[in-house]
Amino acid sequence: MRQQPIPGGDVIRLDGVTKTYQAGPPALADVSMSVAAGEVVAVMGPSGSGKSTLLNLIAGLDRPTAGTVTVAGRRIDTMGESALARFRARHVGIVFQFFNLLDDLTVEDNVLLPAQLAGASRKQARARADELLERMGIEQHKNAYPARLSGGQRQRVAIARALVNSPELLLADEPTGALDTASGLQIGALLRELNAAGQTLVLVTHDPALAGRYAARTVRLVDGQLAGADLEVPA
Amino acid sequence: MSWFSPIRTATGGPLRHKMQAVVIAMVLLVSTASATLGFALLAASNTPFTHAFSAQRGADVTVTVNAARASSAQLAATRALGGVTAAAGPFAEATVQAQSGGQPFGQLVLAGRASPGGAVDDVVLNAGHWPDAPGQVVLDASPGPAQDGQGDGPSQGGEPKLGSTLSVTGVPGAPALTVVGFANSITNTADGWVTPGEVARLRAAGTPSSAQLLYRFAQAGDPAQVRADVAEINRALPPGAVAGAGSWLAAEDAATGNGAIMDPFVVAFALIGLVMAVLIVGNVVSGAVVAGYHRIGVLKSIGLTPAQVVVAYLSRVGAPALVGCLTGVVLGNLLAISVLAKSSAAYRVGSQQAPWWGSVAALAGMLALTALAALGPALRAGRLSAAEAIAAGRAPRAGRGYAAYRLANRLRLPRPIGLGLAAPFARPARTLVSLAAIAFGATAVIFAFGLHSSLSRAAASQNLTTTVPVQLQPFGPGAGPQQFPDAAQDAAVTAALRAQPGTRHDVAVYEDQVKLPGIAQGVNAQAFGGDASWVDYGIIAGHWYDAAGQVDVNTDFLTQSGLAVGDTATVVIGTDPVTVRIAGEVFQPSRQPMLFGSVQTLPGLATAANLQEYYVGLRAGTSASAYIRAVNARLGSRSPWAATGPDGGQFYQIASALIGLLALMVAIAAGLGVLNTVLMTTRDRVHDLGIFKALGMRPGQMLTMVVCWIAGPAVIAAVIAAPAAVALNTATIGAMAGTAHTGIPASFTQVFPPSRLALLSLAALVIAAAGALLPAGWAARARPATALRAE
Repeated sequence: MRQQPIPGGDVIRLDGVTKTYQAGPPALADVSMSVAAGEVVAVMGPSGSGKSTLLNLIAGLDRPTAGTVTVAGRRIDTMGESALARFRARHVGIVFQFFNLLDDLTVEDNVLLPAQLAGASRKQARARADELLERMGIEQHKNAYPARLSGGQRQRVAIARALVNSPELLLADEPTGALDTASGLQIGALLRELNAAGQTLVLVTHDPALAGRYAARTVRLVDGQLAGADLEVPA
Repeated sequence: MSWFSPIRTATGGPLRHKMQAVVIAMVLLVSTASATLGFALLAASNTPFTHAFSAQRGADVTVTVNAARASSAQLAATRALGGVTAAAGPFAEATVQAQSGGQPFGQLVLAGRASPGGAVDDVVLNAGHWPDAPGQVVLDASPGPAQDGQGDGPSQGGEPKLGSTLSVTGVPGAPALTVVGFANSITNTADGWVTPGEVARLRAAGTPSSAQLLYRFAQAGDPAQVRADVAEINRALPPGAVAGAGSWLAAEDAATGNGAIMDPFVVAFALIGLVMAVLIVGNVVSGAVVAGYHRIGVLKSIGLTPAQVVVAYLSRVGAPALVGCLTGVVLGNLLAISVLAKSSAAYRVGSQQAPWWGSVAALAGMLALTALAALGPALRAGRLSAAEAIAAGRAPRAGRGYAAYRLANRLRLPRPIGLGLAAPFARPARTLVSLAAIAFGATAVIFAFGLHSSLSRAAASQNLTTTVPVQLQPFGPGAGPQQFPDAAQDAAVTAALRAQPGTRHDVAVYEDQVKLPGIAQGVNAQAFGGDASWVDYGIIAGHWYDAAGQVDVNTDFLTQSGLAVGDTATVVIGTDPVTVRIAGEVFQPSRQPMLFGSVQTLPGLATAANLQEYYVGLRAGTSASAYIRAVNARLGSRSPWAATGPDGGQFYQIASALIGLLALMVAIAAGLGVLNTVLMTTRDRVHDLGIFKALGMRPGQMLTMVVCWIAGPAVIAAVIAAPAAVALNTATIGAMAGTAHTGIPASFTQVFPPSRLALLSLAALVIAAAGALLPAGWAARARPATALRAE
């Protein structure tokens, strides 16, 4: 089910992207960057620097005021809402800081949902979900409800959900921000495993230690603008 | 800083939460308007004739005098008689035969009055102006008392409108009268009014000049007192001066007969509207407060006292509620103008106004309801700690609806549909309220359709509009007062009918009063000079007579005589007793007993003087209007006979219009209730909706899911509404029949064949979809990032 590699190698490409809300300075100003296939890139910056805005634009959850956003070879800034939703379901997996699981669905149903929305067959989707739950080490909780799980377990469910359609790109917004240290380390290790298997990953964080531990490259945002050149982090 | 300053700040102003304020205002507007209208209708149906008679200073007795037999002084002296409390007149009057649009319009009694007002019989002008020049006439807007139970009075040809011209036949010059207005005399003292000077030229040559005097008496409460009053007038005038007298009791009888019939369905709709208004307002307002719990908790955490929090939220709900209620009262009164105009016509009173107390009650009631609905949750929020209020304001308690989601998943429905159908179980109380609102709305719609069908069948049956599209009556251009058709003219009718290729059936109808032991008043007997089975009177019990010696009767006959279908009776025709057997009971609502048979069974009835009309049935495909024109052309301008269409029955038309309006209002209120529920749920779950979007749910899928939130309750509501509406229709028609002192054929309530009922039940889904589409659209269009940021 894994998608084919993107010709030219860039999974993400932003050119001159600006995002302005109703009043005040732009949340993002003339940002240009790219992420190659198989990379792990950390997006860092203080609160209000535009990190989440950047993630939302890459995920197609929001639209830029100016500039272009290309993900997996497709211009997503010009897509309609239906096309964006389809695109997200198939090409982008999102992991949120506060998990954003649906409390009235079981763990398994939460993981299945993106596959069902993307039109996958029931059998295929269930097999994939079971595979991911086992890989995340939480298959024994598949009939439980999220409220009964620990933070780390919930984040594993969220990661499994994000991967069910084998997207080219995995976006993680502060994936360890709501976890204790031990759980955070486990999640970080999990993300590193995924990247080692070829998953392209963009990680938004304000934690330099997290960025240093898991990302090969860091992009810094300050007041909506890129600050300094990309840094290669030694392995 | 004052105690209220932080409240003003915390409230954020009325524009801060526009959507919620608009929904609250709209719901209160529709509910208050419904309540105002409901109270107005209930008041209007409460002894309308009595109120109108008092307001219009109705005439207890209308005396017609031969002006040649009594001098003006003698007439004026009657005002001073001991029992007379007020008098008006004498007003010259003329009885004319009129045509409208070339078609016979009927016999009219026209009185000459300089103005509509007066100490007695204050005529209410409903349209146009009072005659102020020759050649003008104001017509009585409400038809005269029902004649022998046949509909609402004769309607000969097209109904005139303002500006129409009536031609008076049988007088030199055939004067024309332009209709300049419509008015109502509570006791129908005349069919129309002209200027006093006009009357003389409207009298046919040789007819005595007559005038009418109108009296109110100290004692006129029952027939005996009225007879005594008339006798007093008679004694005060020269012999032969009094040509006739009409009593207010007959007018009351006719008015309350038809009007009382409306009471059951008016009350039914008024109650449905009021109960639903209470339900929806309660749900909307309490929901608005509960939705603000999280914010209430935040406000408390920054220092607002519980009392300040309660006041802040009551004012936030109260401001749009007050706007909605005030606007609703205005709208309700505006709607009442049109509705009460119709009901006043049905009740045969001049005019009805919405009572002031109805507006006050609706306003106060809705505001009190709003306060009650808001106070409970607001007080609870005030008592909660900040942390508890914040927690209570979040998504529904965990554990609700889980089984529904699992079941939906197992059913293998498309995911958005399954998610939507399962969602209502997470908020059972809110779901129940929505279900109830939809059920009420759907019940009202289905009931309205059924009632309309039932009343249409009753109208067609009573007025024979379907089976007898053409009637010939002796109100033709050659007719005149005290003139009857002769044998040759009668024979010409038969020849004219036989000459028309469109004639399928025709039968002569003879009518006269007969006597039956046990019934104090006369029995109105109709004898048919041929096969009349095709006329298809509505059969309540038994069957139409099909053998000699058999008759059919109406319900009043059986009630007054104590007889039943199958019994024999001795009818006295003139002085001859005739034994008949009651074959069936027919639907002909009337306060007078009626009997139907053949001329063979009722010998002595079939005389020229008793020949009342001809019923004509047409071949399929024959145009009734073309047929009428052809027959009238064949009969010619000198014939006393004229063909006309049947009277559709104004009462039934008015009732149908009222039913439609009331059902529409109830359905709109139900739709608003659904709108509010889906809106509240969308707000509750906006973060979840953002998650769905982030995971790839398309706008169309989102819309489907949100609409499905209400689809399940709507289906259940339909299942409840269908039998409820059927039962309500049966009960209401039964109550209306009971008020009209008549039985009804079973077919009047069998108006819901399964296919039709199933189709009408879709009203529940239509109401639900109409209410859900707007918020569903908003949810579908919302940006995922915006939804995810919301909590």
